[in-house]
Amino acid sequence: MVKRWHTVTVIAYVILLIYAVVSLGPFIWAFLVSVTPLTYFSHGKHLGVDIMQWPPNINPFTIPPKVFGAPATLYNYLKVFQVVPFARWIINTVIYAGIVTIGNLILDAFAGYAFAKIRFPGRELIFSILLATLMIPGQITIIPVYNLMVKYSLVNTYYGLFLPKLTSVTGLFLMRQFYMSVPNEIEEAAKIDGAGIFRRFVQIASPMARPAFATLAIYTFLGTWNDFMWPLIITSDKSMFTLTMGLNFFKTSYYTFWQLMMSASILMTVPMLVIFLSFQREFVETGVTSAVKG
Amino acid sequence: MVGYAFISPIVIALAIFLVWPVCESFYYSFTDYNPLRQQEYKGTFNAQEMLQEYLMIFDMKNLHKDELLTRFHPVDFLQTQLGLHLTKRQKAVIQRYFNSEKLIDDFVNLRLNRIMSVAYFMKTYMIKDSHMFTYYKPSWLGWKNFKIMIRDPYFWISLKNSILFSLIVTPIQTFLALLLAIAANQKIRGVKFFKTTFFIPSITSSAAISMVFMMLYSKPGLINRILHYFGMPAVDWLNNVSTALPAVMLMNIWTTAGYFMVVFLAGLQGIPKSLIEAAEIDGAQGWTRLWKIIMPLLKPQIAYVVTLGLIGTLQVFDQIYFLIKNQENYTTSMYIYTNAFNYGRMGYASAIAVAFFVIILFFTLIQRRVVREESYF
Repeated sequence: MVKRWHTVTVIAYVILLIYAVVSLGPFIWAFLVSVTPLTYFSHGKHLGVDIMQWPPNINPFTIPPKVFGAPATLYNYLKVFQVVPFARWIINTVIYAGIVTIGNLILDAFAGYAFAKIRFPGRELIFSILLATLMIPGQITIIPVYNLMVKYSLVNTYYGLFLPKLTSVTGLFLMRQFYMSVPNEIEEAAKIDGAGIFRRFVQIASPMARPAFATLAIYTFLGTWNDFMWPLIITSDKSMFTLTMGLNFFKTSYYTFWQLMMSASILMTVPMLVIFLSFQREFVETGVTSAVKG
Repeated sequence: MVGYAFISPIVIALAIFLVWPVCESFYYSFTDYNPLRQQEYKGTFNAQEMLQEYLMIFDMKNLHKDELLTRFHPVDFLQTQLGLHLTKRQKAVIQRYFNSEKLIDDFVNLRLNRIMSVAYFMKTYMIKDSHMFTYYKPSWLGWKNFKIMIRDPYFWISLKNSILFSLIVTPIQTFLALLLAIAANQKIRGVKFFKTTFFIPSITSSAAISMVFMMLYSKPGLINRILHYFGMPAVDWLNNVSTALPAVMLMNIWTTAGYFMVVFLAGLQGIPKSLIEAAEIDGAQGWTRLWKIIMPLLKPQIAYVVTLGLIGTLQVFDQIYFLIKNQENYTTSMYIYTNAFNYGRMGYASAIAVAFFVIILFFTLIQRRVVREESYF
């Protein structure tokens, strides 16, 4: 019996370790490429770097460390800002993700509270209609929404980017669940004390739903930061691109600047990684609300 | 009512950006909607320059109105000089009601040297029916788009690819996630490390992931190098019609499996220890315990993961956009996008979108029924 358990544990470790390598490997390789120079100078000659060599020739103990036989450098990270308007794209992405997050926090909370705590005729019907809209795939709405933006000249503007994303049914659903868990007794007590509905919403129920706000904010910000399809359709001007749009820029028809492309990819991933690591609990514990790949 | 006020923003937003667009898509799918033509009547031009070009006049002196009138044909002018696409009815109306005399009169008297929009131009020089030229109205085609679609081999290829993508990726990612979760649920150290590690691909943007895999899959890429190391031949994964889609599928599994693993692990950890112990006392060993006790208790998580997986994979777009080069490997959402935004065939694209919508709805309903029935035992 004891021995049997032992085998199972060993197999489990092997599976987990292999998948950890599979999971992290591409990121590690991307990082290695991002710190590799495009060319380097050695023995009086300019040498190209083979960024795909296997097994890789890496030595972290020299100064500077060696990657793929070349001296490691952070120059690519600087270069990214010089060859494309990367700073502008970061600002655009922050504006896009920021406004969408704020919009969702406010509007989803209002509606979530109403569906959880306020009684009004047709409430259940409206709610079930809203839930049904979750089944609508993005492909069918994208053409008319794009045309709407063309009609009001909102293509290549921030309004065009964020307006269609300001609310989401998933967010509404999440907020409603949390407001429903706020005990009615507390609300009743506040009501007796003369607190109006707006005050009960802002000062009593919402502070109790703080974890829900955190979860919604993180997921919305992440989802919008990583969003690609809508920026692709609504922006055509380089100065309005978001980061996801910009990555393709390092690939020309003749040559792909892998080093720069990987630097840019890592630059856009790191903020999300930081958010993820600092709010791990919200991600991993409440894992059952997904806007991640939405 | 306060309630209505609270929900009105989201209801209005969804009406504008979700419900109404669906109706519009249904309408577009019966028309030859073309986005460029929407702009035609808004376009501006200098009427004098255009007329000079059309009538081939270089000097605005000594002009004879009658002679110019014989050379001026309004339909021809609008089509060749202003680039308008006119329907038969519009042409007939122009033949009848276009006031060429007034136009030539203004032209000869130099009153046209300014910028004006097409809509304004038509309003000024049409005696009647100028409203037909103020905004673009796509022509009604009936079922034509759908008939073209049924005979379009690329539509069927894209649909086959989407469905294959979904039917291959969803079970594999679910199984892999389950396997990882069960492994992590053993008495293992560093569960938190594994959870974090596995989760990272799912918080990374599909754009960045596609870039990394584009590098790894490329002809001189890492994957081919490793294969070469083991003495296997190199494959151009993404440009080869038969390997491109499986390569993207593999990447898709890699991105989502970790996230679903966390969902399953939460479910596994929610199973009361006493239940497992009771089963152990009853003599239920490893596999039996897994199949008879743990799996039925994981039903909600499995249903959730499969639903999310199916929806996500059926609509996969970003990764296809970045990595797929051959039209034979397009998925339906990519085919819709190309038709609408690259070829400007929005009517046709809408028809495909409508068909795809119906198919997805059908799948969702079937899948819901299956899940509901299964949850009884």
